[in-house]
Amino acid sequence: MDDGKIIEVEGLYKSFGEVKAVDDLTFCVKRGELFAFLGVNGAGKSTTINIISGILKKDLGRVTVCGSEVDANPAQIKSRLGIVFQNSVLDRRLSAYDNLKSRAAMYGIFGEDFNKRLKELCEMLELEEILKRPLFKLSGGQKRRIDIARAIVHGPELLILDEPTTGLDPKTRLTVWAVVEKLRKEKGLTVFLTTHYMEEAANADYVVILDGGKKAAEGTPHLLKNEYASDFIRFYSRTDEAEEILRAEGFPLKRERGFLEAELKGTRSATELILRHPQLFEDYEILKGNMDNVFLKVTGKDIKED
Amino acid sequence: MTEFKKLCALVSRNVKCYFKDKFLFLVSLITPMILLVLFVTFLRSVYIQSFNSVFSAFGFTPANNRVTEGLAGAWLLSSVLSVCSVTVAVCSNAVMVNDKTENTINDLRVSPVSGVTVSVAYFIANYIVTLIVMLAVAAIGFIYLAIVGWYIPAANVFAVFGDLLLLVLFGTLLSGVIESFISTQGGLSAVSTLVSSLYGFICGAYMPLSQFAAGVRNVITALPGTSGVGILRWHFMEGYIAEFGAAGLNEYGQKALLDGFDGNMYIGGTQIPLWAMYAIISGTCALLLAAYIATVAIKNRKK
Repeated sequence: MDDGKIIEVEGLYKSFGEVKAVDDLTFCVKRGELFAFLGVNGAGKSTTINIISGILKKDLGRVTVCGSEVDANPAQIKSRLGIVFQNSVLDRRLSAYDNLKSRAAMYGIFGEDFNKRLKELCEMLELEEILKRPLFKLSGGQKRRIDIARAIVHGPELLILDEPTTGLDPKTRLTVWAVVEKLRKEKGLTVFLTTHYMEEAANADYVVILDGGKKAAEGTPHLLKNEYASDFIRFYSRTDEAEEILRAEGFPLKRERGFLEAELKGTRSATELILRHPQLFEDYEILKGNMDNVFLKVTGKDIKED
Repeated sequence: MTEFKKLCALVSRNVKCYFKDKFLFLVSLITPMILLVLFVTFLRSVYIQSFNSVFSAFGFTPANNRVTEGLAGAWLLSSVLSVCSVTVAVCSNAVMVNDKTENTINDLRVSPVSGVTVSVAYFIANYIVTLIVMLAVAAIGFIYLAIVGWYIPAANVFAVFGDLLLLVLFGTLLSGVIESFISTQGGLSAVSTLVSSLYGFICGAYMPLSQFAAGVRNVITALPGTSGVGILRWHFMEGYIAEFGAAGLNEYGQKALLDGFDGNMYIGGTQIPLWAMYAIISGTCALLLAAYIATVAIKNRKK
């Protein structure tokens, strides 16, 4: 029984010599959700993924995947999860077909079963044209599609994406996400994502922010933004008058070309301001705080500088 | 059964990875190519002069130069094959090291395939690749000998193929043990360079052991790789020596040729019989196999 939880991590510790890579980490991932792990390099994201997927052994704690403890039944767990690594780990000189065939064999998929599965993958990810070409001759986006095909060749329940779009151009990034969304909708896959991109984390169902191997914050993006991020009002008219009034009331202000921006504690604060000074609100917009603000507030680090 | 099919799939993948990497394939052939160039440019004439000086010492004049030419070629071929059994194995095992440096090993680790199966697959694939390259080199060598002078009995040809199976096993196990500790391209390059340049000397393949000082000769002869050279030397040279005997070279002359060109091998004046050379190389294979198994077991426990 997994109570709808596909991953449960409790009190996880992992050290490399003196360095505590993961330090008392506890979280869970529910079936079917898009779960995001957020953190700068060295925050412990990849170490946690490597423990979940059986590449690394934990020092302490309990890790359950699909209802089984990772140390107790690794082979069973491995057949139920797929992973897309940050950098492609497929064989560069082999064709996409050879790569998928050799990896499918690791899951006991041979012969006619493989051909059938390959046909499904080709339809799903549009692989037909690139199947016979060696990997080193493919573009970044094409390679990523093969990486995803490899990760789901055995029809896993859980797909782990370790910074899958890092280093990709914006168009390819969108292509990758379109594929992942399609898989979620059509196959009901649970997706465990680590990312540097806040806009990707903002689309997640649940987010855990890691800092120095510890959990710094967790929640839905909406809750995290409400709790940690400020809201902003941008005035595009009557900016001088607004600046005078808001400065007197102690709001932090920022003047940019064409608008005045005031930082507010929350959406309620914006409503109160509108009611107090309706004459200021002719041309304006209210902006919710984003995940960048949340991350900066929680960790004190700007993820864009990482 | 499924694990066996997984093993076969991994072996097939490893072999493909090697042959699709043209650079790796060419690097593996560097040692035989260097020896071939050395042979064509000057070694052939040096060997023939040395053979002729033995013949003169025993008052023998070969009626047929094809036997002398053939013996020079056979001596070189035994050198090439014995050295390549190790150097090619070291190069072709790069597939295993590349998997570590390029993190492909992680892709195998997240698959439901045991670490033992992965390690055994590397070993079998390396054996197959090395054997294919060795058989190709042997085939080219045999064609050359057929042209310049073929005096190798059929039984010895079969014995040579048997020797190759054993020597490839030795080379594959040796490279497996050494390279299981390597996880960088720099490390792989260093080991490949060292083995390619040194192994031929320390197994007595590049020049006859009689050319070394007595102390060095005894040490080199005691090394297992030298026994590998010894068994090939005997099977390649026996037919030619018999042909010289039939043409009138007396038994002292035949012994001088065998002693001078490692058809017979000695440690401290005691001749090592052929069976002892097989025992040395087989025993070494057994030790290397134990070391390989221990390395695989430790690696799988560590993670």
